[in-house]
Amino acid sequence: MKKSVLSTVALVGICAVMAILLALTNFITAPIIEKNQEAAANQALLEVMPNGTGFEKVEFDAATLPKTITDVYKEKSGGYVFKLKTAGYDSGFIIMCGVNADGTVSGAVCLEANETLGKEKTYGNEFVGKNMAGVEATDTISGATKTTTAYKNAIKDSLNAAIILGGGTVDLRTDEEILQDNLNAALPAGDGKFTKLFIVEVIDGIDAVYTADNGAGYVYVIGDEFFPVKTGETSSNETVAAAHAILIASSVEDIDLSAYEGLPKRLVSAKKTATGNYVLEVEGAGFGIMNDDEYIHSSGEYIKVRVSITPDGKIIDTLTVYQAESEGIGDACAKESFYGQFDGKTESNFREIDAISGATYTTNGYLKAIENAFAALKILKGGNE
Amino acid sequence: MKNNNLSVLLKGLIKENPVFVLILGTCPTLATTTNVAGAFGMGIAALAVLVCSNILISLLRKIIPDSVRIPCYIVVIAGFVTIVTMVVHAFFPALYEMLGVYLPLITVNCIILGRAEMFAGKNTVGKSALDGIGMGLGFTLALLVMSTIREVLGAASFAGIAIPFLEPYKIEFLTKAPGGMLVYGCLIALVYVITKGKAPKKHSFSCATCPSAANCRVGCAEAPAEAPSAETEKGGV
Repeated sequence: MKKSVLSTVALVGICAVMAILLALTNFITAPIIEKNQEAAANQALLEVMPNGTGFEKVEFDAATLPKTITDVYKEKSGGYVFKLKTAGYDSGFIIMCGVNADGTVSGAVCLEANETLGKEKTYGNEFVGKNMAGVEATDTISGATKTTTAYKNAIKDSLNAAIILGGGTVDLRTDEEILQDNLNAALPAGDGKFTKLFIVEVIDGIDAVYTADNGAGYVYVIGDEFFPVKTGETSSNETVAAAHAILIASSVEDIDLSAYEGLPKRLVSAKKTATGNYVLEVEGAGFGIMNDDEYIHSSGEYIKVRVSITPDGKIIDTLTVYQAESEGIGDACAKESFYGQFDGKTESNFREIDAISGATYTTNGYLKAIENAFAALKILKGGNE
Repeated sequence: MKNNNLSVLLKGLIKENPVFVLILGTCPTLATTTNVAGAFGMGIAALAVLVCSNILISLLRKIIPDSVRIPCYIVVIAGFVTIVTMVVHAFFPALYEMLGVYLPLITVNCIILGRAEMFAGKNTVGKSALDGIGMGLGFTLALLVMSTIREVLGAASFAGIAIPFLEPYKIEFLTKAPGGMLVYGCLIALVYVITKGKAPKKHSFSCATCPSAANCRVGCAEAPAEAPSAETEKGGV
């Protein structure tokens, strides 16, 4: 009994002595360590803002700044240094960007990347001294488009964040969010859910038509303007009223493909409107399919495109119905900014579109699908019944 | 007496070198000898902990009850390691970054616990301090020799200074873990040759001095008369 008490006392005593020694050491070293760490952190900040005299970490409301921003440091003379983490396809880049008090970039470095950086490593230097317009005009590096685009967006986010922190306002909404907001404002009865209408008739002067999913009505887009037309009503705008009348009266009928010979293999279905336009669903080989018509070489899938064409061969509207292209690469073609380029084109000039760099196979798949549509149109129109 | 003290100090360098003869502290030895600067820092840090813990343990050797001596040693060693870690972090941040996790891991470096158990727990403060210095220097020396071989031949540099004419001939394998093992083995063999006949026999650092000897008397009563082979007499991490 006595022995165990003695042992305990000895052990506790030794612990106490060591604890006092540790406390003393910590008392001396802790402030020095903290100072060193601050200096190390400042070193990184100075790299992107060489003229900075002192930095202070700022707390901020994440909802008010671009989503990529993770840390904000305020420089004494009014500039900011932002730490950003890129999102999306090239996520995980940690970028440090300094913004001067006058709203120009003081420097940018990539601290961490999820891939080996080549020329992109010094890409940040190209932004030094530039304002928003200058940043916009900076070219991305070919062969590293994705990376440098993500980099550029991070720089733009930094400039926007500096404006917001300085008390200004910046529209941080994406194009989709702006469109949605405009549709909601034009037709509140649509309950915020709209679908873009696939146009099968020639309607002049209209850029796009959206229908409310709940049947409340239509929204016509002309340039930046949005014109609502409630179900059963008409518009005071003449162009809109004329277009609406055409769309309301439109009707389509299925075409029996077995009645025709020599149709392209990749024509899936065909319809004809009362006004004589054709609505065709055609396919083109996606990435991974080596031969269009005969032999499926590997794991690729066909891209299915719906296209409406006038009898004289002018494309009215295009829509991607199905695609399974690589995320972040081929699927960039599935955006309207790409396939919308076919609208208004004819057989002679539909190839004159801006291809998506890095997505050559997918682009070719779309071109092949459109080619199939024109080939089908000729036969369907020819009346081979 | 003076002569005796000197031998306490010097035995750690070669005759009882903790790394090459006692085969203790293998893990930090392999891990930190890829460059000379890191190895030197590691050696000095271990030396500091070794001397401090040897002195304190020797001071307390009459107070510490036998049954709780190991926990007491661990507390003392861990405490000094933390102190050294904090000091290095504050005053040598570059070294702190370089050694990383191996710095706090000095706590479980068995050279230090081994010397506490084998020597400091039984000898006077003065002798224990000398033993700590000797063993610490022996450890540092071993790390320096090994890191010099590995860095000069493996990375064509010395303490970070490039040696251009060796650049085309560098054997990068030596900077990797297997290369470290190879160099380690060669050096053990070399030291064995140098100290042949003089290296400590099993009884001087085996069962009798094992931290668990008090609980495990197996084999100690009938200590072998013949000198055991090099392979079986050494052990440790």
